[in-house]
Amino acid sequence: MRIRCPFCGERDNGEFSYLGDAAPRRPDGLEASAQAMHDYVYLRDNPAGTIRELWYHAAGCRSWLVVTRDTRTHAIESVEPARDVARARRSGEAA
Amino acid sequence: MSEPATIQASASLWQPRSAWGGAPRAGRHGAPGQAGIRLTLLEGRGLATLVATEGNEAGLQTVLAERFGLSAPEAGGAAFEGERGLVWSAPGQWLAVAPSPHALRDLPEALRGLAAVTDQSDGRALVRVSGPQARALLAKGVAVDLHPRAFGPGRAAVTSIAHIGVQLWQRDAGPSYDIAVARSFAGSFWAWLEHAAAEFGYEVATVQG
Amino acid sequence: MTTLALQRAEAPVSATSADQPFRTAAGGLIDRNRPRDFTFDGRRLTGCHGDTLASALLANGVRLVGRSFKYHRPRGILSAGSEEPNALVELRSGARREPNTRATMAELYEGLEATSQNRWPTLAVDALSVNALLSPVFAAGFYYKTFMWPAAFWEKLYEPMIRRAAGLGRAADAPDPDIYDHAYAHCDVLVIGGGPAGLSAALAAGRSGARVILVDEDFATGGRLLAERREIGGASGADWAARALAELESLPEVRILSRTTLFGVYDHGAYGAVERVSDHLAVPAAHAPRQRLWRIVAKRAVLAAGAIERPHVFGGNDRPGVMLAGAVRTYLNRYGVLPGRRLAVFTSSDDGWRTAADVLAAGGELAAVIDTRPSVPPALRRMAEAAGARVVTGGYVAGTKGHLGLSAIQVVDGYHSVETIACDGLAMANGWNPVVHLDSHLSRRPVWDEAIHAFVPGTLPSGMQAVGAAAGRFTLAECLESGARAGAEAATACGFTATTEATPQTDPESLDHTPLWRVPKPLGKAFVDFQNDVAASDVELAHREGFRAVELLKRYTTLGMATDQGKTSNLAGLSIMAELTGKDIPSVGTTVFRPPFTPVAIGAFAGHHRGKDFRATRHVPSHAWAEENGCVFVETGLWLRPAYFPRAGETDWLDTVVREVETVRARVGVCDVTTLGKIDIQGRDALAFIERVCANPFGTLPVGKARYAVLLREDGLILDDGTIARMGETHYVMTASTANAAKVMQHLEFCRQWLWLELDVQLASVSEQWAQYAVAGPRARDTLRRIVDPGFDISNDAFPFLACADVTVGGGIPARLFRISFSGELAYELAVPAAYGDAAWRAIMQAGLPYGITAYGSEALSVMRIEKGHAAGAEINGQTTARDLGLGGMLAKKKDYIGRLMKERPAFTDPDRPVLAGFRPVDPSARLRAGAHFLARDAAPSLEADEGVMTSVAYSPSLRTWIGIGLIRRGPERHGERVRAYDPVRGADIEVEICSPVFVDPKEEKLRV
Repeated sequence: MRIRCPFCGERDNGEFSYLGDAAPRRPDGLEASAQAMHDYVYLRDNPAGTIRELWYHAAGCRSWLVVTRDTRTHAIESVEPARDVARARRSGEAA
Repeated sequence: MSEPATIQASASLWQPRSAWGGAPRAGRHGAPGQAGIRLTLLEGRGLATLVATEGNEAGLQTVLAERFGLSAPEAGGAAFEGERGLVWSAPGQWLAVAPSPHALRDLPEALRGLAAVTDQSDGRALVRVSGPQARALLAKGVAVDLHPRAFGPGRAAVTSIAHIGVQLWQRDAGPSYDIAVARSFAGSFWAWLEHAAAEFGYEVATVQG
Repeated sequence: MTTLALQRAEAPVSATSADQPFRTAAGGLIDRNRPRDFTFDGRRLTGCHGDTLASALLANGVRLVGRSFKYHRPRGILSAGSEEPNALVELRSGARREPNTRATMAELYEGLEATSQNRWPTLAVDALSVNALLSPVFAAGFYYKTFMWPAAFWEKLYEPMIRRAAGLGRAADAPDPDIYDHAYAHCDVLVIGGGPAGLSAALAAGRSGARVILVDEDFATGGRLLAERREIGGASGADWAARALAELESLPEVRILSRTTLFGVYDHGAYGAVERVSDHLAVPAAHAPRQRLWRIVAKRAVLAAGAIERPHVFGGNDRPGVMLAGAVRTYLNRYGVLPGRRLAVFTSSDDGWRTAADVLAAGGELAAVIDTRPSVPPALRRMAEAAGARVVTGGYVAGTKGHLGLSAIQVVDGYHSVETIACDGLAMANGWNPVVHLDSHLSRRPVWDEAIHAFVPGTLPSGMQAVGAAAGRFTLAECLESGARAGAEAATACGFTATTEATPQTDPESLDHTPLWRVPKPLGKAFVDFQNDVAASDVELAHREGFRAVELLKRYTTLGMATDQGKTSNLAGLSIMAELTGKDIPSVGTTVFRPPFTPVAIGAFAGHHRGKDFRATRHVPSHAWAEENGCVFVETGLWLRPAYFPRAGETDWLDTVVREVETVRARVGVCDVTTLGKIDIQGRDALAFIERVCANPFGTLPVGKARYAVLLREDGLILDDGTIARMGETHYVMTASTANAAKVMQHLEFCRQWLWLELDVQLASVSEQWAQYAVAGPRARDTLRRIVDPGFDISNDAFPFLACADVTVGGGIPARLFRISFSGELAYELAVPAAYGDAAWRAIMQAGLPYGITAYGSEALSVMRIEKGHAAGAEINGQTTARDLGLGGMLAKKKDYIGRLMKERPAFTDPDRPVLAGFRPVDPSARLRAGAHFLARDAAPSLEADEGVMTSVAYSPSLRTWIGIGLIRRGPERHGERVRAYDPVRGADIEVEICSPVFVDPKEEKLRV
């Protein structure tokens, strides 16, 4: 498998480590509920199809990335810096 | 970053040790004939990581250009003036390279507030790989395409060779490449280098700063 | 019925090669002026440069090459390529011995040694061939049915028996002396296969300037062009191939990898290939690799892997002398070898008649042509009959005769009468299967093409195109045309301007073909899978017993599961199952293939990574001194850490460790702790960041002070522990444990880049920059006073416990000093730039000399931390919470941090949860073992009675007894209580007393002096 790091270019998947679903949002702050935290830590969708997932370019630029991948074919639709995705989510919420 | 003080150590006990340790043997090795590979150990270089503070990259560029005559290259780049330069390492991060640690001593103060500067002069072993078979040699370990159409002088990559993390950048179209590898891995990396270079025939030399 | 016994001791075909009696007088692509001596089963033979082992054996009249896997039946050479199921030999000897090598792929070299396999005592007389007589017993499913009961027989009888009979060939029993190499390659267009289609594709792509890699498993490029008497543009096919190769070699961006098998297709344009760099030499040249594993990344690929001919399924079709018709042509035309004196052809296509023609053209005797089709073109019949051959149409070969090789075939004609025809070679032509292996590696199933009665590639992996015979386009004209078109398209897709030239003229050919999947009434065992000895009757048995689905058929009969992956057998098996179930072949389906296409040596995968280079070794800065001083090292992850430093007179590791611990506790010692991860954390929000990643509070930590730090995972368990030192207003240094250094860095980057990007924080790993040494013991300060430059006050008042500062050593060398202690003694950690690590170590050893300093290693370090009850990797094992380890009290109450909520889950706060305690044996001489489980004194061992586990033990020089720490239910409440440390694995059951985990200096007085 090859992943195109937005900074380093296309690299072998051996350079990356996998974390999982990028959808859950950490409930930050002292007000967060235990239930919300439980869902963040454990609840995951397991789609047959497109999923956005977090990868870490461990042997490269140490960037966290959001990879949009089809679990049926391994086809990769896009690879974005996790930082940009997180920022976009925040501005989406603010708007 | 602690100030890289001028070292006045005169006591014979306090001598620096090469990051390559005792592994490399100078001279001609491997297959006979014209040596296809030249390995030059780069000793005594100054290295530091620059990590830009949030939102200050423009200011950082200005100070680097005005004070040091350096420009921080974009992703995958290496910008050199002689043996001084900056090599891209990660988003907002560069490796500053200089002939000696001394040459980097003003960086932390000059970049205060713009970038965190961390001395790494001792943390990496540096080798220059050149010679007619340099690219063929690196193809044995580097998964990145180093073909002139894909890579060239001024290009850099953070990747791994033989499961050892490396940062490499091309210096000239000869081609010659500089490779930085973490100090504790230097012995194992050298073992790979010898294994890979043997079939081409190689010579080993050392240069100071 | 007529019988014509054939004697093989006739006059040689070629008078000039009396030593190679089956070599033709002229022709072929071998070099007759370069003889090559070799041995087979010790017999000295001679072949030619350009031969394979198979062609050289045939040239010498050797037909019997091996014994089959299950029945030990005599087997010969079926094919002339990588699909060979029968002719597997051991090549070379000693450390280079290589089993299961296909004789059809082994290039002949001077001095080659080959040995037949799977026979005892000799190839001609094989004791286990009695299995063949028992073949009704050994049918499919035999093992499943027979070795089921009684269960007690398994270990003593069945398994040893099966193991003795199983397997082919013998691996070398000495380490491989050769070098194996790895290489990466990148290209625009990868062309797989060097036949007419592949060469056309490579030319079209290469001429455009695209970067092209042509991979060909053969040592001579040209594929079937080397094996056929064909013409392209008026020249011979072989000449055309040579010219194409020459042009490709002249193109600077074209790389030709011959002797290279593309064995795997992976996601996103990644390919695996193995190049047999030196397999054609007795011994590789100095410094040259034996084989090279290529990892190729290509934007586009053209699959031109050709096709594999199908055998007929009839009685005795495995007898040496029965071959594929295309292989017969290869031996005739490429190698100048007649595979028999008197050859017959068994065909279901016009293609088989080409073999008949080639036999005659090479001066061979044509015994018969048996065509399963009722009528054949009159010209073909005339050609055969003019040569005196018997021609049977609408008939078939039902069986074969011969002792260790073919001497006659039994032919059934259209009127069902049986005729025996003498011959010592039979060529089978039953059509061709495109090589669909590589394109199905990514789980893409091939599809049935009724027009050619074969599976062809289905949906191809992205960027791949199949051409020529690999796509079911069998004619030479189609190969040239489709190859050139695909090569040009691939180059164009990569941004190059490619043009295709007019396809050169080829001589006409007919592909008329009606396959016969198996003969109606075979005489004798009719094999489907030669390598795994699966016969048509086994497929029938599988059908009768309900194993009809293709995946079940495969597993029940082992059809297609040999190292050849059923290259010559899969379709035959499927077609028989189709016939039995009354379905058509595509409804039965097909199994998909997996990498590797052909077997790849483990050595090629390992490459440089074997022996001491199996994985990288990391050395600590004091390594040179440690080596000079006879240190014993231990592997900790990739690190090679000093474990202990034996001195003269110490006979046991424990002597040394006790001495090191006692010296540290009484005087002073130094230990290399560089392996710890060290992370510089800087930035405006460095403190806020640390507060969120650490579970204990840091808001009150002043500049110049360090603090123990515990990091949780979000699920509430401990991630790691270490120290954080505040070196400046916005500058902190964090340490992580040796094993978790990379994991912690990844975690911090995750927090910085994904969770809290609003924080201004910069991380830099300085693990490699600083050599770090623990100097511990009552005389640690005295020792360091002689190291740290004058001007830095390190007195207890100026530099108390948990102080940290930037200092200089050795007259101006920058250093960091931390007053932290893992041993429980007055202790410091001194960090110096790694280049001065060696010097600093020697300086410390010298400075400590007056105080009786010792170097100590990870063993003594571990003893002392157990004596102090400090948790380490055995306790921070991914299953423990801070509370479990007695750290609950230090956790912050008023901040949010990773793991805050989840650590409060009921299971983690259950008062019955095992928590940290100390243990000492009731009998002071008893030795404790880590891993022992705790049981009440009267409890019978059971999971329910399990109260916890001993995690770490040590012999304590301070207490003169073994001590342990571990996790036990309600541990802190039970000090003084006795339980059993039960260790059935090592047969120990020791009574221990629960105590505080802090065995030494519980009031921590030594730390602060």
